[in-house]
Amino acid sequence: MNLPTFVLKNALRNRRRALLTIISVAISCGLLVTLLTLQRELTIPPESEAASLRIIARNKVSLAQPLPAKQLAVIDRIPGIVAVTPFTFFGGNFRDETVTSFAQFAVDPKRFQGLLVEGKIVDGSYEAFIADRNSCLVGADTMKRYGLKIGDKMRFTGTFFPVDLDLKILAVFQGTVDDRGVFFHHKLLDELNGDPGTVGTWYMRVESAEVSNEVIARVNAAFENTSSEVRAETERAFQMGFVSMLGNVKMLVMLISGAVVFTLMLVTISTMSMAIRERFRELAVLKALGFQRRELFAFILAESFGLAVVGAVVGIGGAWALWTNLDLQSLTNGFLLYFEVTPRIMAWGAAVAAVMGLVSAIPPAVETARMSVTEGLKTLD
Amino acid sequence: MALPLKYNVRNVLVRWRTTLFTVLGIGAVVLVFLGLRALARGIESTNANTGDPQNLLVVRKGSQAESGSLVTRDQFRTLRDLPGIARNEQGEPVVSAEIVMIVSAPRREGNGEANTLIRGITPRGMELRPQVALVEGRWFRPGQREVVVSTRMARRFAGFELGGTIKAGPDRLTVVGHFDGQGSAFDSEAWMDADEARAVFDREQYSSVLLRPADPLTVSNLIARIDSDKRLALRAESEVGYYSKQTMTATPINYLAGILGTAMSVGAVFAAMNTMYASVGARTREIGTLRVLGYSRRSIVLCFLIEGALLSLLGGILGCLSAWLIQVGLTTFNVTFGTLDFQSFAETVFQFRVTPDLMVMGLLFSLFIGLAGSFLPALRAARLPVISALKSL
Repeated sequence: MNLPTFVLKNALRNRRRALLTIISVAISCGLLVTLLTLQRELTIPPESEAASLRIIARNKVSLAQPLPAKQLAVIDRIPGIVAVTPFTFFGGNFRDETVTSFAQFAVDPKRFQGLLVEGKIVDGSYEAFIADRNSCLVGADTMKRYGLKIGDKMRFTGTFFPVDLDLKILAVFQGTVDDRGVFFHHKLLDELNGDPGTVGTWYMRVESAEVSNEVIARVNAAFENTSSEVRAETERAFQMGFVSMLGNVKMLVMLISGAVVFTLMLVTISTMSMAIRERFRELAVLKALGFQRRELFAFILAESFGLAVVGAVVGIGGAWALWTNLDLQSLTNGFLLYFEVTPRIMAWGAAVAAVMGLVSAIPPAVETARMSVTEGLKTLD
Repeated sequence: MALPLKYNVRNVLVRWRTTLFTVLGIGAVVLVFLGLRALARGIESTNANTGDPQNLLVVRKGSQAESGSLVTRDQFRTLRDLPGIARNEQGEPVVSAEIVMIVSAPRREGNGEANTLIRGITPRGMELRPQVALVEGRWFRPGQREVVVSTRMARRFAGFELGGTIKAGPDRLTVVGHFDGQGSAFDSEAWMDADEARAVFDREQYSSVLLRPADPLTVSNLIARIDSDKRLALRAESEVGYYSKQTMTATPINYLAGILGTAMSVGAVFAAMNTMYASVGARTREIGTLRVLGYSRRSIVLCFLIEGALLSLLGGILGCLSAWLIQVGLTTFNVTFGTLDFQSFAETVFQFRVTPDLMVMGLLFSLFIGLAGSFLPALRAARLPVISALKSL
């Protein structure tokens, strides 16, 4: 009988306890991985290469304050900008829904084409969308979610604007970071609202990442000291602004993760101490036979580490399989978009479990090392 | 006959090393569950604590929050002259047309900006909100670019101190006072003169109208009247009812509490089971002796269930106590939480609130963990064959 078999037999001799330990470690590891993924989802909005080339300009007062439509003529003359379109969030509720479950934007269809770089038209035609003022361009995810097809009508009740929309689907896109949006003619929105001469934001694309800071500065400077000052920023910075608005969420998730790790540690330590205390007599026998403290520590360590690692593999693997295969996007109404369990997060989970396996071997090992053989042989508990 | 409770208590105490870890583990689970519920409760109670039951709030039909609502001047005039609205001593109708604006402001800690809500308000509107009281400085003067912010907002945003300025486009608003909204949703607002706000933000229309009906008995008539008037296209609702529905922001936190609580409690049940099995295993001879002495299987089951419940209740009490201590700490240091309110699109400020009913919920939660964890071990203890149990070491 060699060391590995000895450890394995020991670990499995109380199968129930081994199983319970593995399950509780697995649940904690799965939770930790889930929380870290949630934090990543909330703090790092999806990014693509093209997104760093896109700039959003909003009213400096806040996103809720509109911008004058006449600013377009000024932006058009700013060098470095390849395409720019008015971009107004409509915020309507689809059909009879009571929440805005995906975004609708009013855009200038011709100009918007220059911004939809990664998106490919997979159904219908963009030209038809341009030609019909009452039509819309819809993301493939939304089409799939509601079982829509080309030619269907989409009805939206306005929550920000006092108007309703009735749009005909003439084109479908796919391949952007977020294939959910609905885009329609800004002219239609203007018409319905009685031509207020305002837009929500300006959405533009710059030539290259190098000039983007320069362009941002130019756009901001162009409207400084006018009645509608703007704040231009990259699409990513714009999204990060939303995260900043969420407030203390990041801290909260970190605190909860801490509590989960703490529980995980308690569970493994308590199980290992129980397992060892149960065999105090045997360990005393081993000591009497001439095994050294070092070797006894190796037995204990191998067992606790092994249990922790098996638990981690089950938990992390389970979380990965669950979040990869579950269609969270439709389950959460689009609140969670990717929820990708990255290798980095899995490594974190595994590292925490490994440390727990090591740490939880220490108290029982110290106890074993301290005990005298006679005392150990006398133990009943 | 049941075993004396003292036996269980002593058993839990004598095995303090094994029990300590289980108690701490259950305590941590209860703390996470309670902590999240306390945050959600903070948001809910802020909204539940807002408004005067006598007031009616009028917004555009179809809009879910004041900040997305529009009331034209024509609509306001029609509304003001409706019968059934209270009048003050000067004979003016008690009606306040207000505008709600979102202004982005830098956070004090220097990590980015967040939306703040600025309310353009009239003297009538201030009378209709007796919850709000000035605590520092003075109220704004009509026709001046002055603003009064809540003390809680002043702690969170840079430039909100007395004499500070809030930048609104090319204009600057000077902070001349601080108010306290007594834990209501107004604690997340800044107030200025309504007409001045319309000028600064270049807004023709109002956002909402707050009014006081003359007779509490005819309120439903007035609501129906506003609702059915085709010219108005407005919706009236009691102010209290409106705010109690603005709890969408608390929903995801409650969900998170439920999911995390469930997942962590499953883990804790297994941990408790482990401890209880070990406890049964170590006391095999003792159990045999008890059976010989005449204790029935039922009393053995009961004995271990009580022991599991005791163990977990200790954890529950620990969790509740730490949640309460956190609340005391947060209150002492005046810490408030803030997040984006999905309905108003502005930052809402709230407190961590551990209420007695949440504590009871936490204790019941821990009790459930203990009972679920000790059920199978208790059955095993009862089923031990007496003779071999007595022989075991």
